[in-house]
Amino acid sequence: MKAHDKQKRMRIYFTGVGGQGTLTATTLLARTALQAGLDVVAGEVHGMAQRGGVVESVLLLGGWRSPKLDFGEADVLLGFEPLETLRGLPYLRPGGAVFSSSDPLPPVSVALGQAAYPDLALIEEKARQVAGQSRFIPCRELGIRAGSAQSGNTVLLGALCASGVLPFGVDALEAAIRIFLPPRLQESNLQALELGKAALGV
Amino acid sequence: MGNDPLLRGVRGERHLLLGNEAIVRGALEAGVHMITCYPGTPSSEVPDTFLRLGGEGRYRLEYSINEKVALEVGAGAALAGAMCLVTMKHVGLNVAADPLFTSVYTGLPGGLVLLTADDPGCHSSQNEQDNRHYARFASLPCFEPASAQEAKEMTREAFRLARELQQPVMLRTTTRVSHMRGPVDFDDLPAPQPKVAFQRDPGRFVPVPAVARKRHPALLANMEKARQIAENSRFNVAREPAGGSATRIGIIASGVARNYLADALAGGGWEDRARVLELGMTWPLPRDLISDFLQKCDRVLVLEEGADLLEESVRALAQRRGINVRIEGKDEDLTEQGEYSTTLVMRRLAVWLNCPCPAKPARPVEPDLPGRPPNLCAGCSHRAVYYAVRHVFGDEAIYSSDIGCYTLGLLPPLRVADFLVCMGSSVSAGSGFARASGKPVVGFIGDSTFFHSGMTGLVNAVFNRHNLLLVILDNGTTAMTGHQPNPGMQQDMLGATSVHMDMETVVRGLGVTECARVRAFNLKSVIRALESMKDKPGVRVLIAEEPCALYARRRLKKSQPRVAEVARQGEEALRCLEQLACPAFYRRGDNLAVDETLCSGCMICLQIAPTAFKAKKR
Repeated sequence: MKAHDKQKRMRIYFTGVGGQGTLTATTLLARTALQAGLDVVAGEVHGMAQRGGVVESVLLLGGWRSPKLDFGEADVLLGFEPLETLRGLPYLRPGGAVFSSSDPLPPVSVALGQAAYPDLALIEEKARQVAGQSRFIPCRELGIRAGSAQSGNTVLLGALCASGVLPFGVDALEAAIRIFLPPRLQESNLQALELGKAALGV
Repeated sequence: MGNDPLLRGVRGERHLLLGNEAIVRGALEAGVHMITCYPGTPSSEVPDTFLRLGGEGRYRLEYSINEKVALEVGAGAALAGAMCLVTMKHVGLNVAADPLFTSVYTGLPGGLVLLTADDPGCHSSQNEQDNRHYARFASLPCFEPASAQEAKEMTREAFRLARELQQPVMLRTTTRVSHMRGPVDFDDLPAPQPKVAFQRDPGRFVPVPAVARKRHPALLANMEKARQIAENSRFNVAREPAGGSATRIGIIASGVARNYLADALAGGGWEDRARVLELGMTWPLPRDLISDFLQKCDRVLVLEEGADLLEESVRALAQRRGINVRIEGKDEDLTEQGEYSTTLVMRRLAVWLNCPCPAKPARPVEPDLPGRPPNLCAGCSHRAVYYAVRHVFGDEAIYSSDIGCYTLGLLPPLRVADFLVCMGSSVSAGSGFARASGKPVVGFIGDSTFFHSGMTGLVNAVFNRHNLLLVILDNGTTAMTGHQPNPGMQQDMLGATSVHMDMETVVRGLGVTECARVRAFNLKSVIRALESMKDKPGVRVLIAEEPCALYARRRLKKSQPRVAEVARQGEEALRCLEQLACPAFYRRGDNLAVDETLCSGCMICLQIAPTAFKAKKR
C-alpha cells in the first residue's frame, strides 16, 4: 500500500445524466475525503437537470475554496455516461485522468433517431488525446452484477480510488460506504467497489 | 429524522453540509421560531430541510402561497416577537418587494432574516438579477456567505443583528453557495429565543404618511448602526500580503468571488503580490475599513459577480474621501453577466499583477454532440394535455406559458409556449395578448403557480371580460422544485397543518362560470372538453388533473403494473413517436420500442395509436 499525500490538491469534475445518482456519488466521495482528513469543498447544480438533463458536480480536495470548475481545471474527470464524458472533456486539464462508464444512455434526440450517438471508440480516442490516463469501464453492467444499476456509480468510484490518483485509497471508500450508506445498500455497493477495483486490474 | 445531526449535533461536531443545510443549522443555532417560504431553486433545500427535520416543536414551517405572502406572514410573526426566516429565490423578492420596502420603516422587533438565493448564470431561472440591489434599495444589512461554514455563521449573525436593530436583514446566496457542500463546525443548539412582547404603537407600526416620515430617519439611524457593526465584523477582513511584502496593489472581493480570488492567488503563487480585502457583510458598506484599505494601495481591483455595485461604491468613496487610487473592476472578461471562475479571475490577475498566467488554454468544446436538454418525464401528464391541445388548436392558437416543469412544453414536437413573463403571467399576459391581437389564446398554468399568482389574473380576466382559455395543469404538487406542498395537494399528503383546497371550487369562486374538470390521461375527455370550449367567448378554465409521475411513484407510492409495448411497427407507431416524443420511446432502425424501465404506464400512446401499441404486464 503506497502512502497517500494528504496535502495533494486535486480537482474532480463529475458528469452524468439526471436520475443516475451523480450527486449521490459526489457526496459519498466528499464524505470519504472528509473522513480521511482532507479539506473538502463540493459543488452541484440542482433544478432543471432533474428532468433527464446533464448533471454536473465538482469535488475539490486539499484546501480549495471554489465550489465550481472552469474548462481546463479538473485533474480528474469522472464520467458516469460516455457521451457526457466527451462533452465534459474541456474541463480536464491536459494530462489529467479520465474514469468513465462505457455504457451509453442515449439522449432523446438519439432515441428518436434525429441524432447519432458518437462512436465509443471515438470517445475513448478523444479522451486519450487530452488525458494522461483514461479508463472506460462497463459500470452499468458491473453495477447490475453487483446488485443494481445504481451501484454502477460505485464501480467507477472504486476504480478511481484504486487507481492511486487520489490522496486516499479504496479502504477509505469502503469505510465511508459502511458509515454513510443505509445498511440495505451496503452489500451491493461493497461488491460494486470490488468490481471497480478488479476492472482496473489492481 | 430523529437522529439527524442538524437537530442532534452539538458543539465541536463537524458535518458535511449543503450550503442551504448550513443555513438551516445557523437558524436553529440562532433560535428561530418560524420559517415561511415559497420554494424556488436554488433556495428550496432550506425550507425542505426544515420540513424533513420536523423540528420537534422548535419551529413552525409554512409553505406560503407566494413570496409576498411569505414575507407578510413572517413580518406579522416578527411583529408578534417571533424570530423568523423567510426564504425565496431571487425573482421571488420582486413579488415580495411591496412588504419589504415598508417593513424596514416600521422595523420588526422579533427579528426577521430574508434569504434571497440568486442565480447568476441562470441555471434554473428566467433572469440573473442581482438582489444586492434590494439591500441598498430597501435598506437592509446584507450578508453574503462564500462557504457552507460561513452560511451557518452568517445566518446566526444575521439573526443577532435583526433582533438587536429590529430591522430585517438580508442573507444573500448564489446558486454556487446554496448548492456547495463543505465541512461545518457546529455550535450549541439553544432553545428557541424568547419572543419579544408586542407593544401597541400605531405611531410606529402603522405607516400613514406622518408616521412614515418619522420612521425613515429611524431606519437611516439604524443603518448607520449597522454600518458600524460592518466596520468591525469578523466577516470583513483585510489581509496583508504574504511575506510582509510592501506591495501597494489591492484586491477587494465580495460573495462567491472571494473563493475564486483565493484559489487564483494560491494557484498563481501570488499571495505576496497583493493585499486583499474580503467583504462578507457587504451592506451597509464599511466605509472606514475600505478607506483604510484604499490608503495602502495605488491601485485596487474589485471582484464581484453580477452588477458593479461594490466597484462603483468604492470609486465614489475614494472620490469623496480624496484618496488617490486607481480602481478597476468590470471589463470585457469580468462582465456583469454570468458567473466568475478561478481561471477567469486568474487571467485577470495575471494582467493586473503583471505576471505570466499559469492557466493553460483548454481543449475546445466538442462540436455537434447530441444535446441532452431537460425534458418532460415519461408519463408526465403535461405531455398528454399538450398533445390534446395541439390536436385541437394546432398553430391556430397562441400559447401563453407559465413557470414550472410545463414550460418545457416549448420544445418540439409539442411547441406549446409562445411567450412567458413571470409567475402567473400565463393568465394576465395571455389576456392582454388576446385583447390586442384578437387571436385565440390558450394559457397553461400549474396548480402551485395558479395559487401563487394566477388567481389574481383570473379575477382580472373575468372582471375585464377577457377572452382566454386557461388550462390548469393540476398535478397536485409543486413538481419543478421538488414536490413541496401547495393548496392543491391532497389532504392526506398535507397532514394536519394545512388544508387542501378544491381547484374547481376556487376557480368558480373567482367568478368563472365556464369551467370543466378532466383526467389528463383520459385523452378523449380532454379533447372533448377543449373542443366544447374552443369557440366560446370569455374566460374558460379547463382543470386537467393527474398526479406528477415522479410524485406518484416516490411519494404516493403508486406502482403501475402495466407498461406499453409496440404491437405493430409501422407508420402509426412512428407518427406517435414524432407527435408525442415520449422519452420512453426509442428507435431501432425503422422500428420503435418502449423502454420498460422508463415507461410509467400512462397509456397515452395506446389512446393516440390504438393499433400500434398495447399494454402488457410489467
